Amino acid sequence: MSAPAARPSAGDRFRRYALRNASLLLSYLVLTVMGLYYVGYAAGHGQLSVFSVTSVFNNTMPLLVAAIGQTMVVLTGGIDLSVGSIISLSNSLAAVHMQDSAGSVLAWSGLILLIGAATGAANGALVAVGRIQPILVTLASLSVWAGVALFVLPQPGGAIPPGFTALLAGNAWQIVPASAVVLGALIVFWIVFRRTGLAVALYAVGNDERSARANGVPVAAAKIAAYTLSGLFAALAGLYLSAVTTSGDATTGAVYTLTSIAAVVLGGVSLFGGRGSATGSMAGAFVLTLIVNILFFANINPLLQEFFQGLVLILAMAASVLVNVVLGRTG
Amino acid sequence: MADQPQAAAGRPPRSIDPVRRSIALTFGAALLLFLIGGVIQPGFLRPTNVFSVLVVASFIGFVAAGQSLVILTGGIDLSVAWVINAGGVMLTSLAAGSDLSAAWVVPATLCMGLGVGLANSLGIVFLEVPPVVMTLGMNGIMQGLVLGLTNGFTSSSAKAYAPRVVSQAVNGVLPGGVPVDLLLWTAVAAALWVVLSRLTFGRWIYALGNNPVAAYLAGGHTRRITVLVYMLAGGFSAFTGIILAGYAGQATLGAGDPYLFASIAAVVIGGTSILGGRGHYFGTIAGAMILTVLTDVLTLMSIPEAGRSILYGLAILAALLIYGRQPEDV
Amino acid sequence: MPRIEAIDVSKSFGGVHALQGASFEADGGEVHALVGENGAGKSTLIKILSGLLRPDGGQLRVDGQEVRIDRPAAAQRLGIGTVFQELTLLPHMTVAENLLLRREPRDRFGLIRPRELSRQAAELLSGLGLREFDVDSVMSGLPLAQRQLLEIAKVVSRAPRILLFDEPTSALAEREVTWLMDVIRRLRDGGRTIVFTSHRWNEVHDISDRITIFRNGQRVGTFAAADIDENRAVELMTGRHMSAVFPPLPPLGAPEAILEVRGLAAGRVQGVDLTLHRGEILGIGGLQGQGQRDLFLSLFGAQRLRAGTIAIQGRRVAIRHPREAISAGIGIALVPEDRKVEGLFLPMSVRQNMTLPVLGALSRLGYVDLRRETDTVGRMIDQLAIRTTGPDQIVGALSGGNQQKVLIGRWLVTNARILLLYDVTRGVDVATKHDIYDLVTALSADGRAILYYSSDTAEMAHLCHRVLVMREGRAATELRGREITADALVRASLRLGGEVPA
Repeated sequence: MSAPAARPSAGDRFRRYALRNASLLLSYLVLTVMGLYYVGYAAGHGQLSVFSVTSVFNNTMPLLVAAIGQTMVVLTGGIDLSVGSIISLSNSLAAVHMQDSAGSVLAWSGLILLIGAATGAANGALVAVGRIQPILVTLASLSVWAGVALFVLPQPGGAIPPGFTALLAGNAWQIVPASAVVLGALIVFWIVFRRTGLAVALYAVGNDERSARANGVPVAAAKIAAYTLSGLFAALAGLYLSAVTTSGDATTGAVYTLTSIAAVVLGGVSLFGGRGSATGSMAGAFVLTLIVNILFFANINPLLQEFFQGLVLILAMAASVLVNVVLGRTG
Repeated sequence: MADQPQAAAGRPPRSIDPVRRSIALTFGAALLLFLIGGVIQPGFLRPTNVFSVLVVASFIGFVAAGQSLVILTGGIDLSVAWVINAGGVMLTSLAAGSDLSAAWVVPATLCMGLGVGLANSLGIVFLEVPPVVMTLGMNGIMQGLVLGLTNGFTSSSAKAYAPRVVSQAVNGVLPGGVPVDLLLWTAVAAALWVVLSRLTFGRWIYALGNNPVAAYLAGGHTRRITVLVYMLAGGFSAFTGIILAGYAGQATLGAGDPYLFASIAAVVIGGTSILGGRGHYFGTIAGAMILTVLTDVLTLMSIPEAGRSILYGLAILAALLIYGRQPEDV
Repeated sequence: MPRIEAIDVSKSFGGVHALQGASFEADGGEVHALVGENGAGKSTLIKILSGLLRPDGGQLRVDGQEVRIDRPAAAQRLGIGTVFQELTLLPHMTVAENLLLRREPRDRFGLIRPRELSRQAAELLSGLGLREFDVDSVMSGLPLAQRQLLEIAKVVSRAPRILLFDEPTSALAEREVTWLMDVIRRLRDGGRTIVFTSHRWNEVHDISDRITIFRNGQRVGTFAAADIDENRAVELMTGRHMSAVFPPLPPLGAPEAILEVRGLAAGRVQGVDLTLHRGEILGIGGLQGQGQRDLFLSLFGAQRLRAGTIAIQGRRVAIRHPREAISAGIGIALVPEDRKVEGLFLPMSVRQNMTLPVLGALSRLGYVDLRRETDTVGRMIDQLAIRTTGPDQIVGALSGGNQQKVLIGRWLVTNARILLLYDVTRGVDVATKHDIYDLVTALSADGRAILYYSSDTAEMAHLCHRVLVMREGRAATELRGREITADALVRASLRLGGEVPA
């Protein structure tokens, strides 16, 4: 018809990437700023050490892992409120049953992950086949699995094998936090996952479910997969929490439901679905944890922690909306 | 005008209002649960006991009144828990047990709730922050403020007793045995009925929840409606905080926490669509009753908290499977 | 043996029979057009053949074998590809991701190769003669015409044996229409089956081998293209002779100007001048996406003006919100395009739907006066002959045509003197459509001023005193009285406009 389009230059391509992923880049920016603040404060207080950095990583990992799972669901336009209960359940099961042997650790880890995936699959089936709104299905299942967790571990206690703790929360080669290694693995996972047909299906469903179906995308299967992955990651988050806290408490996971959503939002993932990246959610998880640490160093009353987390959440969301409006986009 | 009406061949199907049907079902289920309670423990159905159960249900009912309005417009309020807590703390710490101070502290606390609701709605309307995020963030803000200002709930002001006039209002009983609190609940129910069924404001709430674009194109001031509705929700949450403090005699840390999910569950079990536009407060009343009686019956059956939590969740799922399903696309 | 057949298919929606025992066949190596009025059933048939809807009765056959097409994926497996009127492109994904959805190039681990994806997408487009797209640009940033081209390219590139098109050219300019016709001819020569629906007789006649005419949910005839002319086709489509389909236009006399617009720019409107007179029906024509919608919205206060003035009876006004447009001082009402999305509240009752804009007048201190409301609503139900059990029936239970009447009733209740009617006969059954024509001419005779837009060029040709054809946001051509024919409208819409940018 008319002349072929000129091949875009590298500068053009970067600009286009930046425009398309504006929210994600914003979240990376916030993380970098927070990171610098933290390093500055910590160094200033003489607190910058392998131990403190490892602590930051360890404290972030459960939230980060949970946020990856939540991302899967949010990408399809849904939400998973049962994340907290699965974490509690996972923690309780580990505290009661995991014995101090490689075999037991492996077997129970595997079993717990399987249980998490199964609960997620149940959620997914109710959403996709039962056609019930995600917020309601996961609200109900939150209650169910919280009860099961309480049943498994009625009183806080139990014990986590120290080997398990060292594996996930210790230090490799004396300096590198094991968490950082796991984080690296998770980032690689996401990069690979992003290029699978399943990931494309998740994005398609979140973009426009009707159009996705009209194109032959298996919508129901994609949704079930999303919730199954969320349950799986929540269970993994619970295992991490177990390693970090070294004991069990059936109510310990509750707080992660809403904070995992906060991490996802801070990561620039759209709550309407179809846009965003799990790496953003990972950044968001770090931002939330760093806020707490920075408050500590800035001598601000630690009880005000939630105040700042709430404020940052709202401001980050407003900034993201503003950015999208400026770039002339909706949603 | 029409010479060959195309639609003549098939009459439009009779519409049994699905909302009325689910409200009726819900009240039926509540009644059934009461009867089950009566079977398990004779004396459960004695008026004094029924009243006390209803009083506890009313707490959910008050919060859920605001939550109903917000959900009907297609939004949600996740800040109720800490606005309730803030309400209780504000009452006890500012009034410091004085009945005289209660005269200004109670309205001031309600204003606090209205203010939080206003903040929520401004963020939603002008900053275009989605309700889930805005109210979630506000919940955190309120939590931080309350814990910070009361030093983690350890300050003496936080431990103050609620003014007696408030306690008596909540725990008082009229001649005949009817608790004053239930009178309050009836008043709230009547007010919501008037708003939703008789006022133009109520029509706009349903319109906005059902189809925001069409509501705007029909001349609706969608922003004003949103602001009002979230303010009312904040007001009701603060009100519930006052009531809870009066009931217990003191403000309790985390008193409001269970009410986030309870309020949403009551609204949804009561037949209101989580997407907005359909439902009524009467359903929410029934939903609040079901949740309370269910908890009571399970306790009577000596089922531990773990089991109660499981059955609670399964009950909500059952309700959802019966009438919470979206229609199929084809 | 026909390649694809529908035998005695029926489909109803809530009491309205979209298809009643409809049959249809198309052969391999054929271009077969489906024509009929709005509401005759063509779109419904296409949706059934493509798996988007399931029939209530009847049989579907492909290559002589009975088949069940219960979802789009099943249709695709049978070799059926469909270009729907509502595009099925994913807005936040790129052109390449959309084109090759579910067929992305993979490496040996099964992972998608992004650079290869872009390359293959570009190759696919250039193979079809579409070279000017940047395959890595996001879909939502592209204008409607380009998106329609991409939707076509996507489906065509899947090489289906049977291609179904529902109104494929509604947003396309001349060059793009020519391109599509070329593509269709090549596909036909390659042995494929092409079925398409259109409101434009010239296109239909030009390219089709056979034409099937639908009326009232049934087939009334199938003809070789050479054997039928437009007049005969219209007679079969409507069951009446051409001039009897539309009521006579009331004469205009020496009308006073009631609405004057100068230099209006808003959304896609770049600069429009128009004058609307009392009793006049002024049509706004042109391809889809040329700014008509934004023009209507901005006159109603639902779209902010970048520039320009609006005057009502000589008095300058600023309309910033629909509520201001509705108010008595201005008196403008908009019946919007998609009644389900922009107009009606389906779970609410007839009365609640109808009185919303005027609730203030029907209430005291915020309290609705139910008796006055019942009177008002009752009168409107009678006047428009709405089939309903009463003011309290849920609107969702009504047929499409009656729903449309409820929506129109809402705006008549406001007593507006200027009515903006945007595609009010879309998706409406034939009988109701004619009721609406009668209503529009009656309103004109009553002195109301009407701005009218329709996707059906025949309607525009017969219902308007004047037509302004829009191209690229401007009122490019004006047609008056006898000049207004469907043919002239189409030619004015296509000329010189909407070139695909380099």
